[in-house]
Amino acid sequence: MSNDADISRRDFVRGRLLRTVRAMAGVPTPPPAPQRAAWVPLPIRRPPGAVPEARFLAECTRCNACIQACPVGAITVAPMRFRHAAGTPMIDQATAACVMCPDTPCISACEPGVLRKDRPLKMGTAWVDRSNCLAHRGTLCTTCSERCPVPGALRVDGGKPAIQDATCTGCGVCAQVCPAPINAIAILPLPDRPA
Amino acid sequence: MTTVDRREFIKSAAMSAAVAAAAGSTRAFALPVLTAPGVQWNKAPCRFCGTGCHVLVGVEDGRVVGIQGDLKADVNKGLLCVKGYHVGQILYGKDRLTTPLLRKDGRLVPISWEEAIDTVARRVLKDPKGFAMYGSGQWTIPEGCAGNKFMKGGLSSNHLDGNPRLCMSSAVTGFLSTYGVDEPAGVYDDLDQCDVAIMWGNNMAEMHPVVFSRIVDRRSRGEKVTIIDFGTRRTRTTDHADEFLLFKPNSDLAIANGIAHLLVQNNAYDKDFVARHCNFRQLDPEKPDAMQGKPMTFDEYAAALAEYTPERVEQISGVPADKIRLLAALFARRDIRITSLWCMGMNQHTRGTAINCLVHGIHLLSGHFGKPGDAPTSLTGQPSACGTVREVGTLCHLLPGGRLVANEDHRKHAEGFWNLPEGRINPKPGYHTVLLFEKFCTPTDKGGDIHTLWVQVTNPGQSLPNLHKLFKAKKGLEDKFLIVSDVYPTATTELADLVLPSALWVEKNGMYGNSERRTQQWFKMVDPPGQARDDCWQTIAVARRLFDLGFEGMKNKDAEFLFTFKDKGGKPVPVWDWNHYYDINVDEAFFEEYRPFSKLKQKDLAPYAEYARTRGLRWPVVQQPDGSWRETRWRFSEFDDPYVKKGAGTQFYNSVTKDDKALVWFRPWEPPPEGPDADYPYWLCTGRVLEHWHTGSMTRRVPQLHRAMPAAYVEISSTDAARLGVRSGERVALVSRRGRLELPCWIGGRGDCPEGTVFVPFFDESLLINELTLDAHDPFSKQPDYKKCAVRVERVVTTGAAR
Repeated sequence: MSNDADISRRDFVRGRLLRTVRAMAGVPTPPPAPQRAAWVPLPIRRPPGAVPEARFLAECTRCNACIQACPVGAITVAPMRFRHAAGTPMIDQATAACVMCPDTPCISACEPGVLRKDRPLKMGTAWVDRSNCLAHRGTLCTTCSERCPVPGALRVDGGKPAIQDATCTGCGVCAQVCPAPINAIAILPLPDRPA
Repeated sequence: MTTVDRREFIKSAAMSAAVAAAAGSTRAFALPVLTAPGVQWNKAPCRFCGTGCHVLVGVEDGRVVGIQGDLKADVNKGLLCVKGYHVGQILYGKDRLTTPLLRKDGRLVPISWEEAIDTVARRVLKDPKGFAMYGSGQWTIPEGCAGNKFMKGGLSSNHLDGNPRLCMSSAVTGFLSTYGVDEPAGVYDDLDQCDVAIMWGNNMAEMHPVVFSRIVDRRSRGEKVTIIDFGTRRTRTTDHADEFLLFKPNSDLAIANGIAHLLVQNNAYDKDFVARHCNFRQLDPEKPDAMQGKPMTFDEYAAALAEYTPERVEQISGVPADKIRLLAALFARRDIRITSLWCMGMNQHTRGTAINCLVHGIHLLSGHFGKPGDAPTSLTGQPSACGTVREVGTLCHLLPGGRLVANEDHRKHAEGFWNLPEGRINPKPGYHTVLLFEKFCTPTDKGGDIHTLWVQVTNPGQSLPNLHKLFKAKKGLEDKFLIVSDVYPTATTELADLVLPSALWVEKNGMYGNSERRTQQWFKMVDPPGQARDDCWQTIAVARRLFDLGFEGMKNKDAEFLFTFKDKGGKPVPVWDWNHYYDINVDEAFFEEYRPFSKLKQKDLAPYAEYARTRGLRWPVVQQPDGSWRETRWRFSEFDDPYVKKGAGTQFYNSVTKDDKALVWFRPWEPPPEGPDADYPYWLCTGRVLEHWHTGSMTRRVPQLHRAMPAAYVEISSTDAARLGVRSGERVALVSRRGRLELPCWIGGRGDCPEGTVFVPFFDESLLINELTLDAHDPFSKQPDYKKCAVRVERVVTTGAAR
């Protein structure tokens, strides 16, 4: 719990700084945001094998070793909009996907041990939007299933992709390669990683 | 093009889907249509393949903002393929060419259009006989008409060839030597009615997905249709096939002969049809180059086939004898309808003409011809390979409407229609594609007598076979001059001395002719970027410059300019001046000049206005007593084709033998010119993938398509990969006698090669597989074989993961 206290203190300090800067620049200060009762984990997509979010935030040293280890450059630093998670490693679904390297170099590179080989590699779950999926709309397309790096996670049933929730790791490759005019695959974040 | 930033991604997604406000759609097929007030929707055929789907193009504020399948189109009925939905985005790649560029001291520098056009004209004047033009199956019909008239009618030179030489000229020679006239008798409607569809080395699910959907959708409606896939590798098409027959490369002739042999031996051929409609032919051993061959009797034909017993065929092809019997039994049945489909597998073949003839032969022999669902139908890969090249005749031996430059009467017709002085057209065929580039890449003092080559709407720097010899050898030849009209920088513009920026697709008026004889039309909808201008205008402007410089060839019989077009008041319009180019519809003028050519071989075309009104019409389009225009679906069949005599049933009215009969050919199986051996133990097959079209110069600039298929790969069997010790994603080197290329392998991906075969797609300009391919070609069609050559596969040791 002390971690949570740290975070609120940091938020508090940052808030006051912002108010001071605004005052100096002559920008009106917005009314204070309502106080949140408890800390809620942000839906942020971590590299595979991450420990529960609270522990991750507390123990990740922001050393960027996993970012450098990733062979496809999928891991990035979380930007400021992620508030208290800013600066930690994440995978931005809009621009990149984890390719599920068999030897998980990001986990091997993690010194503080917030990415662990004994943790499930699950980062989320893919979901096919049937109204936008070309295969579900009569066009021959199998791109997502061909590129899925997890055997059995994306089956083609009668020419149409079907996600197997239990096997899918939410790596995001399918969403990345989907050639539909409106991307037909969303990666649903995990509500929270199991403890 | 390697990464796509977020903003670009969102922008392109929004563009594909048009703007805002979703309108409800109840269609089961095709994507829902999103539109907004203020978006104008107009029809156009898709820019990509030869299927000829129609799209509706949404335009707002001078920009294409949306694409949807056209429900009124017979071909696709509203459906589009993965590429088709993105066709609008090809206009907006970041690196569009927008100004003419001339190479000065090794660098391409911007110049004015006046200087560019003058430069081309001066190159012509240098020596008109050494000036050649290389066109395309992506030329619109009027662009082809302009190029053809400019070269053959203006420069008296037949050194004009087109890239369809590389993709369907064996289909042409197959049709010509069988029926005496080019292009399929059948149409896509056959696919709605056939009981059996046979894919002869044809991966339709990826190459012609919308046509393939027409077949597989029937199954979802509860109809039964049997799909038989012949192939040298498993593909997406195989997933839908009831029977998959894996054969050894080059053995397709043996299989076809095996089927014909069983039909004859079992007395299972259609005796009535053969007696009424068929003559038999073989090659003349004394004149093996003559496409006419010499007649043979049915008994001689049967005797020639005798050696192709199912067991012998199994030995050659690897297809079990029982499967050959099964196929022959299918063709022997009269109660079912069989459609054969093929594309590059049979055409890009050193025996391409032969295998085309054999497949037509099986259909004729078994009487599976001329009824809806019974047809041998070739498909084309380019949107107007048929319309612009085969019909307009933009090949080195052709004149419009199925005429030959070597035929005196035909030359006279053309001189008449074009109003040229007698004797203007050169009787000697020009150089075909492979020879043309060979001559262009050979130093002048060593017999390379082509000094200037003008390439329009195609990318030979990537698509020619054996690129080192046929294209890259141009580098360093100071007196050779390459002119390229294109929309993006390509492998071809890399060696270009002059680059002319062109208008693309709906940035100009156009007409295309698809695989099923359907002529299509569209109007200009948006302006081309920068100074990009129509290819057709470029040709006319060069012609005019030559005319102004006093070049005799650019004058017609009445000493007028060759391309004189008059407005409604009869006043000539200076179309060579870009400011006046759209004062009249130049497309319409070219098309109306070309129309009379189409009568000779019953390829009648309707007036331009009819095509503007409809989603294309299939020729012959014949005017009815009430003044309306009627298209023809089944050619040579009395029930549909108005040119067939009453009571004839089927009539091959363009017959080679002038007796209304088609020719059934005997062509023996022969070993390939290059096959695997101890040094080069693998077969290399090349081809396309679903997401990219041809050399990828357009589709690789669509973010979604690029992400879905970012780079070329080599498909290799898991057994071979295990033996080499490589995993998916690791790099291997392919080495042939002509080149070496490193690329990542993909095992168990989209397709699956048998042991001893590798497959590489050719869309990727950074991994040019055509540096390895063979320039050996069919003796009749001059079409090279991209599907079969021998390579070695080597493991490449790399550090770090490659992907």
